[in-house]
Amino acid sequence: MFSPAARLVTKRFLGIRQILRQSPAVSAGGAGTSRSYSTALNYHIDSPDNNPNALWEFSASNMERVKEILSHYPSNYKQSAVIPLLDLAQQQHGGWIPVSAMNEIARVVEVAPIRVYEVATFYSMFNRTKVGKYHLLVCGTTPCMIRGSRDIEEALLKHLGVKRNEVTKDGLFSVGEMECMGCCVNAPMIAVADYSNGSEGFTYNYYEDLTPKRVVEIVEMLRRGEAPPVGTQNPNRIRGGPEGGNTTLLGEPKPPPCRDLDAC
Amino acid sequence: MASVVRGVLKAIKEKGIVNFAKDLKEEGYLNCIFDGNLLQTKIHNIGATLVGVDKFGNKYYQRLDDTQYGRHRWVEYAQKSRYNASQVPPEWHGWLHFITDHTGDELLMLKPKRYGVEHKENFSGEGDEYIYHSKGHALNPGQRDWTRYQPWLPTKNSS
Amino acid sequence: MGFLRALHRARPLIRSNFSTSRVACRWISSTPDRHNPEAAAAAAPAPTPEVRPRTPVGGARIECPNPEDAIEVFVDGYPVKIPKGMTVLQACEVAGVDIPRFCYHSRLSIAGNCRMCLVEVEKSPKPVASCAMPALPGMKIKTNTPVAKKAREGVMEFLLMNHPLDCPICDQGGECDLQDQSMAFGSDRGRFTEMKRSVVDKNLGPLVKTVMTRCIQCTRCVRFASEVAGVQDLGMLGRGSGEEIGTYVEKLMTSELSGNVIDICPVGALTSKPFAFKARNWELKGTESIDVTDAVGSNIRIDSRGPEVMRILPRLNEEINEEWISDKTRFFYDGLKRQRLNDPMIRDHDGRFKPVTWRDALAIVAEVAHQVKPDEIVGIAGQLSDAESMIALKDFLNRMGSNNVLCEGNGSSPQADLRSSFLLNSNIAGLENADLFLIVGSQPRVEAPMVNARIRKTVRATQAKVAYIGPPTDFNYDHEHIGTGPKTLLDIAEGRHPFCSLILSAKNPAIIVGAGLFERKDKDAIAAAIETIVKFGRVNRPDWNGLNVLLLNAAQAAALDLGLVSGPECIRSAKFVYLMGADDVNLDDLPKDAFVLYQGHHGDKGVYRANVIFPSAAFSEKEGTYENTEGCAQWTVPAVPTVGESRDDWKIIRALSEVAGVRLPYDSLKAVRARIGTVAPNLLNVEEREAPTISGELKPEFQQNLSMAPFGVAVDNFYMTDSITRASKIMSQCSSQLSKK
Repeated sequence: MFSPAARLVTKRFLGIRQILRQSPAVSAGGAGTSRSYSTALNYHIDSPDNNPNALWEFSASNMERVKEILSHYPSNYKQSAVIPLLDLAQQQHGGWIPVSAMNEIARVVEVAPIRVYEVATFYSMFNRTKVGKYHLLVCGTTPCMIRGSRDIEEALLKHLGVKRNEVTKDGLFSVGEMECMGCCVNAPMIAVADYSNGSEGFTYNYYEDLTPKRVVEIVEMLRRGEAPPVGTQNPNRIRGGPEGGNTTLLGEPKPPPCRDLDAC
Repeated sequence: MASVVRGVLKAIKEKGIVNFAKDLKEEGYLNCIFDGNLLQTKIHNIGATLVGVDKFGNKYYQRLDDTQYGRHRWVEYAQKSRYNASQVPPEWHGWLHFITDHTGDELLMLKPKRYGVEHKENFSGEGDEYIYHSKGHALNPGQRDWTRYQPWLPTKNSS
Repeated sequence: MGFLRALHRARPLIRSNFSTSRVACRWISSTPDRHNPEAAAAAAPAPTPEVRPRTPVGGARIECPNPEDAIEVFVDGYPVKIPKGMTVLQACEVAGVDIPRFCYHSRLSIAGNCRMCLVEVEKSPKPVASCAMPALPGMKIKTNTPVAKKAREGVMEFLLMNHPLDCPICDQGGECDLQDQSMAFGSDRGRFTEMKRSVVDKNLGPLVKTVMTRCIQCTRCVRFASEVAGVQDLGMLGRGSGEEIGTYVEKLMTSELSGNVIDICPVGALTSKPFAFKARNWELKGTESIDVTDAVGSNIRIDSRGPEVMRILPRLNEEINEEWISDKTRFFYDGLKRQRLNDPMIRDHDGRFKPVTWRDALAIVAEVAHQVKPDEIVGIAGQLSDAESMIALKDFLNRMGSNNVLCEGNGSSPQADLRSSFLLNSNIAGLENADLFLIVGSQPRVEAPMVNARIRKTVRATQAKVAYIGPPTDFNYDHEHIGTGPKTLLDIAEGRHPFCSLILSAKNPAIIVGAGLFERKDKDAIAAAIETIVKFGRVNRPDWNGLNVLLLNAAQAAALDLGLVSGPECIRSAKFVYLMGADDVNLDDLPKDAFVLYQGHHGDKGVYRANVIFPSAAFSEKEGTYENTEGCAQWTVPAVPTVGESRDDWKIIRALSEVAGVRLPYDSLKAVRARIGTVAPNLLNVEEREAPTISGELKPEFQQNLSMAPFGVAVDNFYMTDSITRASKIMSQCSSQLSKK
């Protein structure tokens, strides 16, 4: 009678203790409660540089691209162009989309503004608050995390002296988190979205095989206006290849065992 | 019967007719004319043993020989015209209802000194005792207003 | 009485069943039709009665015009025949199995995001969301297997994970889908040990209260707002566990149908703000009644507790309001509790009212009525009058020797002889067959939101075109504003307007004329112009009558049927005016020494000129017959007792007639209705629409000049149109916060 209840209580108590023990470690790792939500607020707060009354337009050269994008879709499904147009607006506006830009896109694709807001809030790649000219996106998914992406992020935040999703004083950098960008083989990695040259000179580069030291060097190079080499930062590796050259698949690939290729 | 008559005559002889009549009244024999309950109690009392008298003057009788078990204890209330069960103090209650065989006088010693309050009979519905009226009752001073609409008031319309 | 009503309701159904089943379409039902031996014989290979058939959910019936399109599916082993294209969920409903659901709503598009309707389908590897899965021939659907039950339990656990446990303080408690279904599929304990999610509440205006933490993201409100109400304000923002319903930018929900999101919300996220914390739904007594704030006659349920009306909910009526009602209908009920007249009153010499007994009040009025000449007596019925009181008023005045009886809003000398000239002839449900609308001088969105919702439904479903003549106003569907006044009408009538080609090419054109035009001087000329368009555009054919008049008030149609047809100009010479709830009639022309009797339930505009006040019962307190704009008579039923000394209108008139010495011959409601039957028998056929028997060809010709003044706006404030809504606090809040400036 007593023992099952007692066992339950002990189990629950242990569980609680474990949670309590974990929590300081988590916050020390630079990931407090904010880690649970990768997106910003789901509602708009008026500010001088972000309000529905401000006029926002696509630039003349971008208007050509808007027309080109719209031509990809049937004329009665203009709303399909919402995502490319939001991307274009984000590049033009220095990395983020004010609410007036969303209204403009709604006008262009002929839907109610709320339909554009829905899309923009859904995708975490669309920033609805100000970001730096170089938006540094640290991959936080399992392979990168195992290979130390939290240390990378910590190093970045410590070096720049900001919190996550906060812009440095000079407006150059901001650090965000992104989920898997498909570079798991070269984990950990960051992606740098460069909004300094508008939509024409927009680049989006991966820096892979990082160490906390190397990532600070990359940031400093970006600050100086240099172009750090993209891709893997491990000098002993070529792209996704293994360190020190290939060890397998060195010879000719064997033909499939079931049929004779020459006979075809 | 004869013994009753003898007793009566003896009492008259001892006290004189005037005092006897006074006692008769005080003991409630006159009420017996109209109150059958009291009369029956008086008849029961003949031959019963008086076990005790409480501080209010209620007399507690018991008769063990030829009475049905469970009806062998009863009380004759001190007040002859207005009596009810709440006049029995708690110490006698147990004896009277066959809860205990200790008489009220014995149980009086158990009464708490510090917080035991004096027994008070129930005056509900009589005198100035508090009577509860529900919120809907007309005698409740804070009677609920059941009007669920706001009437139009002809004040501002003197056109 | 209730049985009679049920019979009335059932009659057209039965009739259509019989007539249609013989001709073209066959009623697909799995049991042989017992009423119809032919159909029973036709369905000879009857299904093997191994499983006992169940009755369809909610009386679901299906009709399959083309028998080849019918497919057979098996629901729990029981075969049903359904038309192609139905979903699995609908098939289950036909088979009598109620599938739990949150996001699915039969009048909205399918979202399929709540996953509560999961069922097992044979040969399907996973449970299937039945609301979004089309039924395929021979599908074997199992709804009560352990797989389906476990799947639903899993869904329910996820839904309850972030749902607060605040049922005791939630207004939805007792009528909450989540509460009900968690009784069947919920666990008594949760495995979720994290913090529950919380969401910022949104301000949607004075009518809808939001507690967004309770939201389960079914998106019914988003779909309702964009599909039915036509306001694209609500959306689903964010993703994952941060997902929430909102407007993104600060915005009120300015729709005249916004209250319906309270009904469709399956949980307590959207509840009624005026009703918040007022009552629990199980304390309420429901009374099925009729709305009188506009001429549509929406079917409502008045929920009352003791002597007060607590809330108003819609009642399903496919012919009129489907299952929506307008905000005015839903929230004006607090007007029933304010500014009520509860005592007969007489104005003293110093101009102040003092309450008197009925006996004195009736005696004084009868005395005055006999002192004036018969033709100086005028009776005006208000816009909330029922047919019983109007016939009593007319009979009383006729017995006093006067025939000056009118109903406000009908203009001078209305055309009451042909019923088709003042009714919505194609019926509200029939508007769905139209493919072209010409709206003349009417703003349906404010005059009759339910008709507007029907037009919007048609426009959305069939891309019907809408053309509008009148002052600029907002529509919630695509329309073309082709003019502002009679000039455009004349252009169309004379074939000069580009719209003419549209109306000629349309199959079922519908013209909707606003009743606001009745008040114009040149109304007969406008009617003649419209008549020309009707002839020219073949709008009125034996199989389609597209000429519609959209009335404004609940009393108008019945008044015209009963012959309350005097013009308002007769009050210029009036000495005795009987205002029966008439507040919007213009009394400026009334002589100063005229005696005004106001009989009504609210101290509104009409009271201030009155000499004597008779308090009467409001629509929620009496039995009355109201005819809606399509000529369909409906009954109100008393939901709450009358206030103070007030009495039913017809009873007051009956009593007054006796005091005045011209006793009316009816003493009971039955007798009054019998009297109505001699004047307008259609008013006794409740919930039936009688097609007008006399064709429009008999209409007299009018020679009148069309004035070129543009059409006006008939209803300038949607939220305050009659004495009850003007007394309502909620309505005044709405008009100050929601009305477009």
